[in-house]
Amino acid sequence: MREWTHSFKIDREKCSGSLACMRSCPTQAIRVRSGKAEFLPELCIDCGACLKVCPTGAISAATRSLKEVWKFKYKVAVPSPVLFGQFPANISPAHIVEGLKSMGFDAVWIIAAEIELVNRAIRDYMQTWKGRRPLISSSCPVIVRLIQVAYPGGVEQLLHVEPPRELAGRELKRKYSEELGIPKEEIAAIYVTSCQAKTISIIEPAEGVKSDLDGAIGIADVYNGILTAAQSHKEISNHKVLSRDLLRSGSLFQWDMSEGQRRNLQDYNYMSVTGLSNIIRVFDDIEKGKLRNLDFLECYACWGGCINGNLTVDNLYITRSKLQRLMAELPEKDPRLEEEVARRFTCNELYAKAPIRPRSIKGDMGDLKERIKRIKEAEAVLADLPGLNCGLCGAPNCKTQAKDIAAGDAQKSDCVFYSKDRLDRLREIYLKKKI
Amino acid sequence: MAEELLKKTFTIFPRNFDKAGENSTEIKTLLKSLNFDPDIIRRLVVVAFEAEMNVVMYANGGEMDFVITDEDIRIDIRDEGPGIPDIQQAMQEGYSTATDEMREMGFGFGMGLPNIKRHSDFLNIESQVGKGTTVSAGIRLNPDA
Repeated sequence: MREWTHSFKIDREKCSGSLACMRSCPTQAIRVRSGKAEFLPELCIDCGACLKVCPTGAISAATRSLKEVWKFKYKVAVPSPVLFGQFPANISPAHIVEGLKSMGFDAVWIIAAEIELVNRAIRDYMQTWKGRRPLISSSCPVIVRLIQVAYPGGVEQLLHVEPPRELAGRELKRKYSEELGIPKEEIAAIYVTSCQAKTISIIEPAEGVKSDLDGAIGIADVYNGILTAAQSHKEISNHKVLSRDLLRSGSLFQWDMSEGQRRNLQDYNYMSVTGLSNIIRVFDDIEKGKLRNLDFLECYACWGGCINGNLTVDNLYITRSKLQRLMAELPEKDPRLEEEVARRFTCNELYAKAPIRPRSIKGDMGDLKERIKRIKEAEAVLADLPGLNCGLCGAPNCKTQAKDIAAGDAQKSDCVFYSKDRLDRLREIYLKKKI
Repeated sequence: MAEELLKKTFTIFPRNFDKAGENSTEIKTLLKSLNFDPDIIRRLVVVAFEAEMNVVMYANGGEMDFVITDEDIRIDIRDEGPGIPDIQQAMQEGYSTATDEMREMGFGFGMGLPNIKRHSDFLNIESQVGKGTTVSAGIRLNPDA
């Protein structure tokens, strides 16, 4: 069994064993066996549901600390477009870019050209794709991992195109290394991310290759620094023109929002679904053979898209409204941007570096007869369990507990209906009383 | 003779469109936890779903067996219903006796039996008009799988 790196850390000191995380996990990847939450790494899809519900703040996203970033010689921030929708109206994109620089970044890379490149690659891919439909957007890492873990048959339907952030990492290293005469290894491309899942997609890409980015920091981590710096930079007189030159095209802001690919793919049957529970319902329908006429399915695990990521500061609706206003001020087509896209489209590697494969899950081992034996055992155990899904055994529901027992990872005596010892142990943990 | 390894029986209720497909979902979960090849799962789930929908739409209820043997996985489904007068005609793509109401709900496009045929390795239909229909369809397992 291989080891999985994940974007969460559970602080055992802070963990109160509240079970909230275990109950919220869409892939049943958490157990609270002895008063402390633990991940089953092969099932975790980095969605962040647990992080949101933890009452004691024991679960945190593993983003790069700023300290690690400063070790590189030349540091380039690659902000998610969402960043520009987070600030008060008097703080323009030009202020935000200056703010990032005054925090210590040597340059800021706006992914406008990369988004246009990817839009084009997606259109090409749609046109030539002969396999099963719908094709499913792959820019949200949680969706990629959900499919790997729970819908393995769908991996081939994932769009095989790199997300713009990865293209940016590659291109900026090429450019700055050439211009400044320093080796690529001394240049850090740091994504300023709206969620922790993109961090893990950089540390451990789903395709099992190496990312062209060197890490990510959350929008929430740079917010105050930018705000402080921007307030002292108020004198940027031509910030409107500067902002337009930086952002270049309105399509920059469509990327991270729901319905973001609709205009790009207007000739196709297109559907946008956001929110993990909604997506799971749609995936179930697709597995049953429904939605056969759909060409493209855009999925974001966060409700509303990346603008609602768990490392953002402002709420989804305010962010969307701000981004739409910025979009309205930008030209739809910028001739210099078009030129750059045309030049780079031919010489850029736009397709993912390697195919995405399903993850192998523990409990899948053995031949068919053994596996059926285990399933039958689990069913027999389940029939004996109370079916209340109370979670006191440490598994999210009786069904999962029965599976764990059949696999040898838990005992029937973990159930309070079968063991007074378990109840006593829980009293010790949760009431802090020795019995 | 194939050795039967697992058999599950599901009851199917007529016209229950809200719950329709839940049995197929359960079969899918089961196949997934048994680590079958994703392609086999996908095909069998289509077979189960279409077979189930036929009973939901046209019959007065029925039963579905989901069977795994060391040679194949199959769905055996039997219903009490109107029966199919002309099986060959029913096998044609687009042939449907669905009501407008069913079509409004997104069903009844005459793809049920053709889809079962397309996704299975074997398909047997027996039907008596006025009595009911039995359908058995499934996928052969590679002997060394």
